[in-house]
Amino acid sequence: MSKPALMRHMPQIAHVDVNCFYASAERAFDPSLEGRPVVVLSNNDGCAVTRSPEAKALGIPIGEPWFKLAPRAKEWGLVALSSNYELYGDISARVMELLGRYSAWLEVFSIDEAFLGVKGTPAELLTLGHEMKTAVRRNVGVPVCVGIATTKTLAKLANKWAKNNPAFGGVCHWDSVPAEDRETLMSRLSVIEIWGIATRLTKRLNARGIHSILDLSRADPVMIRDRFSVVMMRTVLELQGTPCIPMEEERVGRDQLIFSRSFATAITTAHDLRQVLSVYGQQASARLAKHDLQAKVLTSFAATSHFNPNDTSFPSVCVPLPMPTADPVILTRAAHALLPLIHEGVKYAKAGIMVTDLRPTGNQAPLAVFENPHEERHIGSLLEDVSRKYGRGSIGLGHAGIRSGLDWTMKRDMLSPRYTTRWDELPLVKAA
Amino acid sequence: MGVLIGPRVIDAGVSLLSVLISPVPVAAGFPSPAQDYFDGRIDLNEHLIKDITSTYVVRVSGDSMEGAGISDGDELIVNRALEPRDGCVVVAVLDGELTVKRLRITPAGVVLQAENPRYPDIRVPTLSELTIWGVATRCLHHV
Repeated sequence: MSKPALMRHMPQIAHVDVNCFYASAERAFDPSLEGRPVVVLSNNDGCAVTRSPEAKALGIPIGEPWFKLAPRAKEWGLVALSSNYELYGDISARVMELLGRYSAWLEVFSIDEAFLGVKGTPAELLTLGHEMKTAVRRNVGVPVCVGIATTKTLAKLANKWAKNNPAFGGVCHWDSVPAEDRETLMSRLSVIEIWGIATRLTKRLNARGIHSILDLSRADPVMIRDRFSVVMMRTVLELQGTPCIPMEEERVGRDQLIFSRSFATAITTAHDLRQVLSVYGQQASARLAKHDLQAKVLTSFAATSHFNPNDTSFPSVCVPLPMPTADPVILTRAAHALLPLIHEGVKYAKAGIMVTDLRPTGNQAPLAVFENPHEERHIGSLLEDVSRKYGRGSIGLGHAGIRSGLDWTMKRDMLSPRYTTRWDELPLVKAA
Repeated sequence: MGVLIGPRVIDAGVSLLSVLISPVPVAAGFPSPAQDYFDGRIDLNEHLIKDITSTYVVRVSGDSMEGAGISDGDELIVNRALEPRDGCVVVAVLDGELTVKRLRITPAGVVLQAENPRYPDIRVPTLSELTIWGVATRCLHHV
């Protein structure tokens, strides 16, 4: 049989993700957090979105609101931190850039995880996994685990196994593990543990006698397609080792940009919301210009809190733009189309804009009549230049420029320094 | 974390300023004689940072490294990818803090040495008992 020889050259997929990403990024610059329970809080310091293993050991569930944890924090020695997106974004970019050196075939899947196409014998793949793990830990400073298998679904499962079983040393190559061990693992894990299967589907699968991952891997793909969906059939095939979810290169022409925030204190007037939307319009313009993109459609929205069912309002308006543009004046004006839909007095907890139908700038010159007077004056690039020089918020268009009333910006009371993106917040090293 | 990142965090890492060495500006209509010799400005990133993924900038607090030309308030460029060797200035983790010292690896043991007689050396039996955070490659000394 020539199969083993063939197998050797079959590409496999490595799934790499950072352990407790946000907490690990914080620890990289503050070693005093090592070994202590740490939680990182969501926007506005709402609830725990990342827990260090020590915080998990305390029994703190994911999503636990901070107000419930705060009273016991001292007794536990619990450290809570606001989300330091500047830090996490930079650390993520470093991890991805480093991983990109191990494979030309890199799919950045989320801020803390990536898939890589890899090739080699089982021994070579294991070595590669350990090399990547060591390099990210040493060069960037955060711990990762690696799962390698023939399909994405199995690679994710292998990674999960590597994380939960110290015997692997952080790297699991699925095919190198004895078949009976794999089956034991799969029989112990509920289908809900699989990538892409939600609670609702779990109930439906359970109703058909499919409880464990092993059950699902042994199900008939055709039956699954008929009773559930093609997506679920793909999962079954992937569990059986047949790749069905292709690797995706990073989408170059990203088709949307969203600017949205939850407010520290709710907004209740159209006047305040006008200011918020103006800021987003300007940010969208800067981001589009940076990537040489123009948008054709702008959606502007606001929302009340989900935790307040008695006072719900989710106004949104979709504005087709007369022509593709990155002009801050036009984008801001379009964003303001939401204002007539705002009910004064309603507590809006969130608002944002989304620009879609993006296309590269300058594909075709517009007819003279449609030419945009603001763009001609380069207002967008001027605003961006001034902001870069004097800081965000130093200049603004119309209502975005109002100096007072910026209390709707995100609440981040427990923010660590932005160690890698701000010159005045660099990590301090002691010379004493 | 289930989806491809849509809006991505775009802020790059700390980036050092470029130093300007450019041809003189010239009035329109007359070509600059320097134009053909201009290959771009000196980029400090290129010269001071070997590997952007593993390089961080830190700020020094204290005077224990004065003898090495590192003063309070100076910035250090630290490369985490470098192998810490005897004689390197390193950032080490000591008592949960980042500390800068000169690394001495001798047959008798490993020493974290201050470059100021007022500060004592710190001895450890082996390198493995020490967490070296990174190796300092440059000091941005304020003059």
